[in-house]
Amino acid sequence: MSETQAFSNEFYSAMLPEMLLFAGLIALILIPNLGKGTFRIPGTQLRLPWFLGGQRYGLTSNPRLPAWIATITLAGAFAAVLDSLNGGVDSVLVVSSDSDGAKQLLMVNGFSRVFELIFFGALALASFASMNRLKVEGTGGKLTEDQLFNNRRQADFYILMLTCGLGMSVVALAQDLFVLFIGLELASFSTYVLVAFMKESKTGSEAGMKYFIVGSVASGVGLYGLSMLYLWSGSLQFDALALAFAETGTEPLPLIGIGFVLVGFGFKVSAAPFHFAAPDAYAGASSPVAGVLATASKAMGMVGLIRMLLIVAAPESSDGSAVWLIAIGALAALTMTWGNIAALGSTNPKRMLAYSSVAHAGYMLAGLTAIGAWTWDPSFAGQEGEAALLVMTALMFHLLVLVAFKLGAFLVLSILENDGDSSRLSSLGGLAKREPLLAFAMFIFMISLAGVPPMAGFLSKLMVIMGIVNVGVGSGINSFGDLHWVWWLALLMVLNSAISVFYYLRIAVVMFFEAPEKGREGPLPTGWQVRASIFICVVATILLGVFGDSVLEMCRDAAESLTTKW
Amino acid sequence: MQLVGFPVVAGIVLLAFVSNAKKSAHEKLNNPIRMASFAFSLVLFGYTTAMFFNSFADITTDGIAFNNYTFHDSYEWFPALGIHWTVGLDALSFPMVWLTTFLLPVTIIATWHEKNGATYFPTLLLMGGALIGVFVSLDLFMFYVFWELTLIPMFFLILNWGGKDRKYASQKFFIYTFTASVVMLLGLVTLYLMQPDQIGTGGKYGTMTGRTFDIPTLVESATMANKDGWFMGESMQKVLFVMLMLGFLVKLPAVPFHTWLPDAHVQAPTGGSMLLAGVMLKMGAYGMFRLPLSMFPHALQHFQLALMIFGMVSLVWGAIVCLGQTNLKKMVAYSSVSHMGVILIGIATMQPMGWAAALFMMFAHGIISPMLFAVCGAFKHHYHSMEIGAMRGMAKHSPWLATSMMFAWMASLGLPLLAGFVAELMMLIALWYFIDLEGWSVLWMIGPALVLALTAAYYLWSMQRTIFEGGDDTQPPASLHGDPVPDISNEEKIAMLILAAFTILFGVMPWIGLDMMDDYCRTFFEHMISNGIFKGGA
Repeated sequence: MSETQAFSNEFYSAMLPEMLLFAGLIALILIPNLGKGTFRIPGTQLRLPWFLGGQRYGLTSNPRLPAWIATITLAGAFAAVLDSLNGGVDSVLVVSSDSDGAKQLLMVNGFSRVFELIFFGALALASFASMNRLKVEGTGGKLTEDQLFNNRRQADFYILMLTCGLGMSVVALAQDLFVLFIGLELASFSTYVLVAFMKESKTGSEAGMKYFIVGSVASGVGLYGLSMLYLWSGSLQFDALALAFAETGTEPLPLIGIGFVLVGFGFKVSAAPFHFAAPDAYAGASSPVAGVLATASKAMGMVGLIRMLLIVAAPESSDGSAVWLIAIGALAALTMTWGNIAALGSTNPKRMLAYSSVAHAGYMLAGLTAIGAWTWDPSFAGQEGEAALLVMTALMFHLLVLVAFKLGAFLVLSILENDGDSSRLSSLGGLAKREPLLAFAMFIFMISLAGVPPMAGFLSKLMVIMGIVNVGVGSGINSFGDLHWVWWLALLMVLNSAISVFYYLRIAVVMFFEAPEKGREGPLPTGWQVRASIFICVVATILLGVFGDSVLEMCRDAAESLTTKW
Repeated sequence: MQLVGFPVVAGIVLLAFVSNAKKSAHEKLNNPIRMASFAFSLVLFGYTTAMFFNSFADITTDGIAFNNYTFHDSYEWFPALGIHWTVGLDALSFPMVWLTTFLLPVTIIATWHEKNGATYFPTLLLMGGALIGVFVSLDLFMFYVFWELTLIPMFFLILNWGGKDRKYASQKFFIYTFTASVVMLLGLVTLYLMQPDQIGTGGKYGTMTGRTFDIPTLVESATMANKDGWFMGESMQKVLFVMLMLGFLVKLPAVPFHTWLPDAHVQAPTGGSMLLAGVMLKMGAYGMFRLPLSMFPHALQHFQLALMIFGMVSLVWGAIVCLGQTNLKKMVAYSSVSHMGVILIGIATMQPMGWAAALFMMFAHGIISPMLFAVCGAFKHHYHSMEIGAMRGMAKHSPWLATSMMFAWMASLGLPLLAGFVAELMMLIALWYFIDLEGWSVLWMIGPALVLALTAAYYLWSMQRTIFEGGDDTQPPASLHGDPVPDISNEEKIAMLILAAFTILFGVMPWIGLDMMDDYCRTFFEHMISNGIFKGGA
């Protein structure tokens, strides 16, 4: 591990993906404004061209251009992360030194890299697919004001996508509560606007409003919790907080503080009972944005939970197991059951996917619970955290593959949204006849979400279950009564998976065996970009399920780098 | 390896080929695709049959007895978790694999004129590939993967080519069996993680978890551990046994977990039913032999009574319900439940002969029940009705169908010299022997004795009401609307003849299959007794 100051050479090379995003952001603001604008030197007739404003060039006035810039930037950042993951990541700690000594700001390591992979992958696919979602109503010279406006706001959408990515990666990198909060808010505010971006539709603005209000309340509560932690320990640094927590963590103040912070992140991962805004937001947002909320944004929330629960309030800080164990365990059970039961009753595919995303949050919380419980058996501590490592690997792998099939499912709905709407189950009707390959893709996503082998969703769910059971059985246990109670979470999880099959299958049945709605028998709207994104998702869903070993190893290395205590 | 890959790849290639073609061209593709699928399935059948005649490797009785495998191959797949693509055949799986490859071409022949053949026949191939995968996998993970994989083609077979209530039936089928198998999955995962940690040893053990999914290794260590106590500990072994058995009992299915079966069968197309009854139900029994029975003999002893009760209840309940059915296919479906009860009883006797009876029942029922369903399918196809009361005296109009029906019905009720008889007789002897040995009440014999009569009653009764009776005054079903009553097509005749021929073959010369099963069971029990796990006897 090397330490470096902010804005040093090493800083720039370690932060290459973020720098790429930053460059892309500037390009997104500048390039669509390039034109034949001139600047008259005052007092003369001399006009100097300065290329901003005025009549745009053919290329820069192309409304598709922002989408391409954003996609290429995000894909480039993705490739940069992938490249740095290749052959192990050197940890780089960014510090800021002042008279009080060095403060840790950001940490680049395998853990943050894998999460960057998740964020940038999801955002790149979503921006690529959004090229077909945000309609371009005309190009060239003669445009009405509305068309012109529509073309202009394309850039806004993709700028927000990039800021969202930037904020998320800051969350993954942060070593300090303040930096974490900055990143969180940058990403949150971008998503609030993105959700409300379809302001022409009633549901869009309603969803944006709800999401904003609930989200900002959750953030506010989280911020209050952060301030209580600061009040108690006098520091916002993770390592200082963890040290303080190990000594006096059972005092009421830090516990209440941690509890409040959990509310903020619980909203982000849409854990029950903080999930109420999620179905509305997903249903009102355009489908690719909903896909980002369900994958990247959720992963960001998980990073926050992991930092707070496993680094600050680390399990070793109290005897046997973590202080939060019962609370998070109950939350996990509640979340997965509530999500699945609510999904059973929803007839809007997007709400259904939202609830299924709640259920998946429950599975991941169950994994976190297991990590919190891994020290319950004294003989376990000698295992050097192998048990905790396995769960962490599973969680990261799950979040990673979720991008493939959850986002993919939303992208399929995106095509239907272009066709009219996708808010009823029947709007999927006859998809197999209208476009068989799309129906096949949706079927793959559904069975992967349900956890049917050999899809990636099966492997990741199996890994999570395996991790939980591994903690549950401990070592040398040979009586059923001696099992740790987290084992029952695994049982609840498989039973919930069984429930979930019902609503996932329902989609398949509607697609293959019900007639299309009246007036929607024709071919679906064209657009190769969204189909290409879906194709990538299908290939990833199958390949990661069948040949996911190297990705698993990568996640394991990443999990190992999270903390040295394991 | 080739056995699984071949049909799956062939099925996918054909399906991809079809989905690329234009909608209007599908009709034209039916014939070439059918021929191609048929040829593929014949190649498979030839391959496994040649295997039986020792063409590729020596299948010696010792080589395929308990925890010995032939064609044993292993490829690394997920080294991090200790998952290997391990395949192998033993006396448990070889008959089942052969049966699957035998039924595939027969099913294709019997449903030669199925609609949308261009997608139907490749789906059958996929189904066959997944089924073979279940039987050859010697890795818990692979076993589970194929176990679930069989659901998908069957789901589509029912949904695409099924009857009126196919949506309900296919979803019920999927959810029912999926629920049971996720509980089984948790059992498998717990079993996997309860092994002692072997981290760093590599090889079969996962680099990340230090455990292995390899079934032969697990069975080996289970037997070693069972010698001086309970493998995994007493209560844990019991819980795991129950969790695994739950998955298998639902698949088998045993009463009270059987309610998905009649629905699935009645709505499934003929080909689907043939494979479902012929092979898919056997997956349940096969799974029991492969995992819980091999690894948890102590728990088996503990739950012997429960298994016996499950078996008896399935046997009797299935038969009683059969009596009340008016739908031929539903009746046949319930008769499958009843016959699966025989398998459970055979297992519960814990006698080598009872086990061999169970294994042979799996095999015999796998040949007879497809014929039953082919007959039902022919009724449906030609008369558009399977209501027992809707027709009378059909023998006069369609002698071929009547003869096939009579033959299949007789085979199923256990006529001597036909395959089913051998298994039932063995089961009865084993049960009698067991009762005598253990001093159980003779009242246990009432169930099987009663069912012998009940089975004869419902089969003979349904036959009498549909194909006989009526004299000159025959009554074709109203659903024909006065059209002339057709006989079965030539393809169906061929399929019936093949199935009948093999039913006779295995009835007259049961030792062809029985020898290896018998050896398997004997070595298993010898092994258990010599290790002091079972007390001597038999």
